[in-house]
Amino acid sequence: MAYTPQYYPGSTSVGINRRKHMSGNLEKLRDIPEADVVSIMGHRAPGADYASTHPPLKEMGEPDCPIRQIVAPTPGAAAGDRVRYSQWTDSYYFAPSVPYWRSYWGAINCKGCDPGTLSGRQIIEARERDIEAYTKKQYDSEMTDVALCSMRGCTVHGHSLRLEENGMMFDMLARTEMGKDGNVYAVKDQVGIPLDKKVNLGKPMSEAEAKKRTTIFRVDGVSMHGKVGARKYDEAVEAMHHMWDLRSKWGYRPE
Amino acid sequence: MAVKHTKKLFIKALNKKFATEQKLLASKGIKEDNIQDTKTGYLRLGPDQSARKREFMEYAKKLEGKRGMTGYNPYVHCGGIPLGQRQLVPYKLSGTEYVVEGDDLHFVNNPAMQQMWDDIRRTIIVGLDMSHEVLQKRLGKEVTPETINNYLEILNHAMPGAAVVQEHMCETHPGLVDDCNVRVFTGDDALADEIDDQYVIDLNKLFPAEQAEAIKAAIGKTTWQAIHVPTIVVRSCDGGTTSRWSAMQLCMTFIDAYNMCAGEAAVADLAYAAKHAAVLQMSEMLPARRARGPNNPGGLSFGFMADMVQTSRTNPADPVKVSLNVVAAGSMLYDQIWLGSYMSGGVGFTQYATAAYTNDVLDDFCYYGVDYAVDKYGGFAKAPKTIDVAKELATETNAYGMEQYESFPTLLEDHFGGSQRASVLAAASGITCAIGTGHSQIGLAGWYLSMLLHKEGWGRLGFFGYDLQDQCGPTNVFSYQSDEGNPLELRGANYPNYAMNVGHQGEYAGISSAAHAGRMDAFACNPLIKATFANPALVFDFADVRGCFGKGGAREFRAAGDRALVMPAV
Repeated sequence: MAYTPQYYPGSTSVGINRRKHMSGNLEKLRDIPEADVVSIMGHRAPGADYASTHPPLKEMGEPDCPIRQIVAPTPGAAAGDRVRYSQWTDSYYFAPSVPYWRSYWGAINCKGCDPGTLSGRQIIEARERDIEAYTKKQYDSEMTDVALCSMRGCTVHGHSLRLEENGMMFDMLARTEMGKDGNVYAVKDQVGIPLDKKVNLGKPMSEAEAKKRTTIFRVDGVSMHGKVGARKYDEAVEAMHHMWDLRSKWGYRPE
Repeated sequence: MAVKHTKKLFIKALNKKFATEQKLLASKGIKEDNIQDTKTGYLRLGPDQSARKREFMEYAKKLEGKRGMTGYNPYVHCGGIPLGQRQLVPYKLSGTEYVVEGDDLHFVNNPAMQQMWDDIRRTIIVGLDMSHEVLQKRLGKEVTPETINNYLEILNHAMPGAAVVQEHMCETHPGLVDDCNVRVFTGDDALADEIDDQYVIDLNKLFPAEQAEAIKAAIGKTTWQAIHVPTIVVRSCDGGTTSRWSAMQLCMTFIDAYNMCAGEAAVADLAYAAKHAAVLQMSEMLPARRARGPNNPGGLSFGFMADMVQTSRTNPADPVKVSLNVVAAGSMLYDQIWLGSYMSGGVGFTQYATAAYTNDVLDDFCYYGVDYAVDKYGGFAKAPKTIDVAKELATETNAYGMEQYESFPTLLEDHFGGSQRASVLAAASGITCAIGTGHSQIGLAGWYLSMLLHKEGWGRLGFFGYDLQDQCGPTNVFSYQSDEGNPLELRGANYPNYAMNVGHQGEYAGISSAAHAGRMDAFACNPLIKATFANPALVFDFADVRGCFGKGGAREFRAAGDRALVMPAV
């Protein structure tokens, strides 16, 4: 019988969404043009050649080995692209994704990438043309809401701050703005350098939509613990208790 | 019994913290803000909105002419977008009425914080008994309370850097070294009675009766010198100097007080006692790769840190308060000074550390957890010392804390970094478990469970290093393997997995303290440390750590080591 990964426990919408992110089985909500994604990333001008750090692998005369036979290089690795990044900040207020789930998505679904997980930002590094493709997937899919998530290479402050009055996540560098037409526009790249032209990212999710798609447990959404005096633990808590218990006991008696 | 948790303690602090913002918003016609609103107006007023930043900019302008080159200028930040795009809000020191600006809690701007560390590294504890045996048995000298009083009078002249025995010596100005002093303490009440009061740390007066008896029983009939060399000495040299400085003055004083030959071999015995055989450093020397001598923060164990803080003798009935003063001391020393400056040199460490001792947040979470434990198990340290109890108490405390962050957006904003929230939630869980069971290892187990649950709930935790330190951490809680298996009290800043991340070490010290505070113990790890830091002549008040930090921030604290006496007036 073929193995079907279970990914994550729980029957709540949060558990279901977490499984979706990990499996890569995500709904596409928008289509940001590739050139716009590239300009927001800010590593190369759209249409420019890719910078490389080594010749294409086919020209390198690499030694034959079993691993090379098993693992096909990604397009970026095959071409010798340099490694670049995209980094996301996701708001506490029901952003669809959160740092660990962006990392799990990357580690499970994106070949040749290096995810890094912090509290207020999440970075994925990969060969340039690969990371461009991975970034577009994130931008276009239900992992991202354009008001509650944004690409921030630096000065990421904002994930835990109250939202702006128009529902946008605070950004010290104001890299995105709400247009009068209700669409969100990117006006600066990841590190805050102004773009030549604004990029229309589309309309943000409604609060109800964000709550439906989020991967965050919250007491005002899907609670992980029930409430004070009426505790009801999600299956995620029970699973974590089990792991903590085993880790603690193994440390005492490794066997 | 601790203060019963009847209301959310952080609300008052948040109202104070956001009061100016609310006025500002109202003046701009934006609806009066509320600490539970999820949305607000960001006024982007820049650094000028803060009195302290204005002071910095004005001073920097004056300096620019004087220095002939540029310096502080927040407008070089982020291509001309200065900090202050969100409202810059002040901080209330937990458990006090002090409200200061964040800048005032950077240790460079806070003389009380500096003095706390100076008071630790300028301290050395040296036993008297070994030297007395040399004098009596080898040299045939008589040692009596009278000779000890005479010795202590000479020592309090010599220890600050004045000459005895020798002629034509260069001495230190008494006004520069007035914080230096030596007192003795002993478990022998009869001997203590015979020593001049000015030279004694009176355990019976300073400690509650039961604690005094416990400390005296642990010390026995031995006698110890609590030595504090001048602050200015350790600021010019380092903590490794303390034992050398003190040993030199001790030997010279013995020579003078007991009419010894200055060059006879017996002096070497006294020196050996003062430098090695009868000495207790405040912290261990670090491995060569960290390149620090003894009496530097990296070798300071959590148990010693817990014993340096004196809230256990002034507020023994409130173990949460005891633990939180230790957390404050530890967060400042281990995070702001050790990791933030010695090891890293960063600017952000103040923000990390202050979360644990400002705005009554950790206080609220701890009182909630401890009250829950007391209600369920009938008192402090009454719960069984089991992993199941750690699971129950940590899960409940952590859940409560997460719910507060979710329900009060300004609270979440106050602890805007995941490392801050992770440390506070885990510290509350660990302290609850430690006070509830009276066992530091159960507290540590609660800490790690909180970390895992936190990450699971919100899908994020702290900085990169939390991945290793906290997610594999449960395996070291009950380990007895040689490189990772110490009781928490004996672990320290250089314990293998703890040497990398802010927001942990001060809290571990707090958990060490909590276990013993819950049990109403007189000390957590070492009675000599507890007795020495009871010395009323210390400049920093180790019984009121957070209050002292507040005084420092409010510019009400006078530190030692001032050089104004020997410099032209500004």
